[in-house]
Amino acid sequence: MGRKKKKQLKPWCWYCNRDFDDEKILIQHQKAKHFKCHICHKKLYTGPGLAIHCMQVHKETIDAVPNAIPGRTDIELEIYGMEGIPEKDMEERRRLLEQKTQESQKKKQQDDSDEYEDDESSASTSFQPQPVQPQQGYIPPMAQPGLPPVPGAPGMPPGIPPLMAGVPPMMPGMPPVMPGMPPGMMPMGGMMPPGPGIPPLMPGMPPGMPPPVGPRMPPMTQAQPVTAPGILNRPPAPTATAPTPQPPVTKPLFPSAGQMGTPVTSSSTASSNSENLSASSKALFPSTAQAQAAVPGPVGTDFKPLNTTPATTTEPPKPTFPAYTQSTTSTTSTTNSTAAKPATSITSKPATLTTTSATSKLIHPDEDISLEERRAQLPKYQRNLPRPGQASMGNPPVGPIGGMMPPQPGIPPQQQGMRPPMPPHGQYGAHHQGMPGYLPGAMPPYGQGPPMVPPYQSGPPRPPMGMRPPVMSQGGRY
Amino acid sequence: MSLFGSTSGFGTGGTSMFGSTAADNHNPMKDIEVTSPPDDSISCLAFSPPTLPGNFLIAGSWANDVRCWEVQDSGQTIPKAQQMHTGPVLDVCWSDDGSKVFTASCDKTAKMWDLNSNQAIQIAQHDAPVKTIHWIKAPNYNCIMTGSWDKTLKFWDTRSPTPMMTLQLPERCYCADVVYPMAAVATAERGLIVYQLENQPSEFRRIESPLKHQHRCVAIFKDKVNKPTGFALGSIEGRVAIHYINPPNPAKDNFTFKCHRSNGTNTSAPQDIYAVNGIAFHPAHGTLATVGSDGRFSFWDKDARTKLKTSEQLDQAISACCFNHNGNIFAYASSYDWSKGHEFYNPQKKNYIFLRNAAEELKPRNKK
Repeated sequence: MGRKKKKQLKPWCWYCNRDFDDEKILIQHQKAKHFKCHICHKKLYTGPGLAIHCMQVHKETIDAVPNAIPGRTDIELEIYGMEGIPEKDMEERRRLLEQKTQESQKKKQQDDSDEYEDDESSASTSFQPQPVQPQQGYIPPMAQPGLPPVPGAPGMPPGIPPLMAGVPPMMPGMPPVMPGMPPGMMPMGGMMPPGPGIPPLMPGMPPGMPPPVGPRMPPMTQAQPVTAPGILNRPPAPTATAPTPQPPVTKPLFPSAGQMGTPVTSSSTASSNSENLSASSKALFPSTAQAQAAVPGPVGTDFKPLNTTPATTTEPPKPTFPAYTQSTTSTTSTTNSTAAKPATSITSKPATLTTTSATSKLIHPDEDISLEERRAQLPKYQRNLPRPGQASMGNPPVGPIGGMMPPQPGIPPQQQGMRPPMPPHGQYGAHHQGMPGYLPGAMPPYGQGPPMVPPYQSGPPRPPMGMRPPVMSQGGRY
Repeated sequence: MSLFGSTSGFGTGGTSMFGSTAADNHNPMKDIEVTSPPDDSISCLAFSPPTLPGNFLIAGSWANDVRCWEVQDSGQTIPKAQQMHTGPVLDVCWSDDGSKVFTASCDKTAKMWDLNSNQAIQIAQHDAPVKTIHWIKAPNYNCIMTGSWDKTLKFWDTRSPTPMMTLQLPERCYCADVVYPMAAVATAERGLIVYQLENQPSEFRRIESPLKHQHRCVAIFKDKVNKPTGFALGSIEGRVAIHYINPPNPAKDNFTFKCHRSNGTNTSAPQDIYAVNGIAFHPAHGTLATVGSDGRFSFWDKDARTKLKTSEQLDQAISACCFNHNGNIFAYASSYDWSKGHEFYNPQKKNYIFLRNAAEELKPRNKK
């Protein structure tokens, strides 16, 4: 075994202290032994996930992780594989293993000279502190006072330290929210269990989300060294510095968050924003005079930090979410390719969606056009004719429908299907491009319909159309 | 009332008096049925603004008509008037004073319907069907905003045949919402743009979509001091994204949630995922309602991030929804939305608009 990072190298189960060769096997073990519902045998992905499942589906609470050794039964600690294990337990384990190896080394090397032993034991101990530090670098945020350590902590470590600033306000809301809404939680259940720190990864993730373990890792390594110390110090930093340290991220790591690139961006924005937002009362669209010009540009004073984020987010008007190709359902991956296509106008072959996957089926036609567009293509909806059954229904009470009088000056018979005799019923036949509109100055035959519309009292029926003709004739056509 | 002059025998009262079998599931929630509903799918609903006493409901449909009912406090609905386009009506809205109704249609025009005179005139023209129409009331101007499949957003003074302003969209406009001074427009290919409307409309920000599927509906919500602060965006993949424009912590404040899906989680059958056809925010509580192709509506509390209620399943999709001005009435329309294509269209199937008392069910959950 490597001497350096024993803990990390050999996966072990926090709940029962067993060792495994592979993290995958460890996870399978956890799912089968610790995260399995005793009622329906459904395998969840985390402890909190199991708790929520039991609450929502079976209306039962569980307070301990099944098959866990005493002291390791915390149901609210979010542990997945090797992630989420509290630092002190990690250290304990390391010490334990150290002792074991030291013992075994001592036994093995008892024939060797004492000097060797000393060297090796000191060498092995000197390795230990180093791997610890990077973790400690972001552990402190978890130990912030006021944070109920249990629900918050396990979700934090993997690379989401910058969100800690925002977590405290969220935290107090979490525990009451979770138990309090069993019936309602189902659809959002997939989001909640992973903990407050992982909202960006929630969409598209099935309850428990195995995939994010993967993508979580790389972002963590990036974010750690830069952000961990920096974020916590950032709040006092003036807005001027906020934009600069941010990496020019154009491809967001957590695209589902909607806009902000890395957590770095969002937190620095958050910190400077919060000061500014409290200062100015409600400038949703600051300095509107400027805003009339370019859009994502410098949008005014109060929201300066936001310029960077809009800049990053608005650059790709046709967003692609490369990270989402890892998502579970294939619906997403195919739609990515759809989305990646530049906005080509609909030609004869609209892009298609993948509407079926192994686990889900999109109830939608395959083409990626809206339902209305699809429906409007039908010849039935394209004829500009009166709807069947509505023609010649002689409804005097219906009243002057637009006053479509045939003898209107200057109405070139441009439209197809224009029935010369005006149906008494008011179909807007004469109502096509190039038509100067209805000049309902000639309203006469139908009276005004006031008998029909008593509630609309406001004043006598004015001749609203009176003023149109002059304007119309200038414009000619719309 | 044969006021609307349609041939189907809806005549008296419009309740299911004819042919209603025991297994009839068209109104499982036992809500009030609006009399004389349109003869083809309802595409849009709008209640009158608070400036009008009482409640008036406008519905546009694929039968090319726009109908108006008075909704009395007793729940009785009285058909009042109707206008026609030459193509299916896709969107309707009211002016702020309640005297005009604006309608947008597949016939590439938009009209202004003066309710007092019962006259409608064309006020807008596009090169393709007009999908959205909204009235903008600003301190220094009033206008109509129309979004079309011709990839433009146009602003019209109703007195002039040429638009006051035309903005290019990246793609066909699919849905939009306006709460002054903010406008949100979602387009094909998952485009999403926010506009600010002070002084004159201008593009504020293009936003990378929080959803991975085609956008279908959008609704702006307001903060506690009644200023627009974000929007809810629905897609065809049974999911709604809640997105704030300037959140303190975007990664935490913005989120998406799944909705309108069949229970496929534990069973062996794949889960059916339905489109979200409409989103509406309760004007007083700030909670929201979503309606989907699955024929259900759900109420949600976005701040507590919980679901408040899901309805029983209707026998056809719910295509549109809206609240009245004080949030006491929730109206939803049951009609085929084409989610299963042409094959499942039954022209004989009746379309309904239901009214439900929404004062209690949409109260927010008490968090903490």
